[in-house]
Amino acid sequence: MGLVCRVVEEAGIATVCVSTGRDLTVQVLPPRSVFVNFPMGNAFGAPFDLAMQRNILRAALDLSVSAVRGGELVDLPYCWPVPFAFEPGRS
Amino acid sequence: MQADTSPQPPAHPAPHSPAPISYVEGLARHYGSMGHPPYAWTIHHTAPMTPLTKPLGACRVTMLTSGGISLCTMPGFDPMARNDHRLDAIPADVGSGDFQIHDAYYDHSDADRDINCQFPIDRLRELVAEGVIGSLAPRFWSGFMGRIYNRSKVLTESGPAFAAALAEDGVDLLIAVPA
Repeated sequence: MGLVCRVVEEAGIATVCVSTGRDLTVQVLPPRSVFVNFPMGNAFGAPFDLAMQRNILRAALDLSVSAVRGGELVDLPYCWPVPFAFEPGRS
Repeated sequence: MQADTSPQPPAHPAPHSPAPISYVEGLARHYGSMGHPPYAWTIHHTAPMTPLTKPLGACRVTMLTSGGISLCTMPGFDPMARNDHRLDAIPADVGSGDFQIHDAYYDHSDADRDINCQFPIDRLRELVAEGVIGSLAPRFWSGFMGRIYNRSKVLTESGPAFAAALAEDGVDLLIAVPA
């Protein structure tokens, strides 16, 4: 996905990535990313948590405006309420 | 009366704020357990940058998910997909209940209940209605599921074709949500 963002950006269209895999994002380095330390699959938070979904979306939009150099990564301050681990899911 | 200074349990449990998960290691283990070769992640030290040239309120926005999300009227994605360059265009006016998710590499049980926690199309529409975003493109996108080992095809074929489709729709900003 980060590679796709880089290709799109090189084609002249701005991109912003909403990532739950910080180490993956740092390696592939999309042009702009916000990192959300939530489980993969919950990039915008919990089901029906409209305020959080909106906050994270707004943070991504804000970065798309404020970023001045390629590869910017912003760590968002939100915390998931319970411990979580890497869990490949069900199909 | 003396103040009680003994430790008190917090009114709410402290939020869990661990170090970020190492997906590079976790995925390598998982792929290995499935008999896949190790995945050599691309490592970049610089990234391209195309600044927005107009305010958000004048921008046309779309969104891409790689989370195996498809319309119920379409075949499901292959949950174990490798090297799958399938890319679905999703009409921007679909309902948030019109989706199915097939991807064995993350827990999508929450997104099954509310697509907006992984692909927030309703929140985007609200921001358009409020004028925060200028407009939505006519198409959202789902594809580029993980485990694409033939990355040169992304760089030379499927990626540029996707960029051309975005340009055709007049997109100023792509929000990408990997999973």
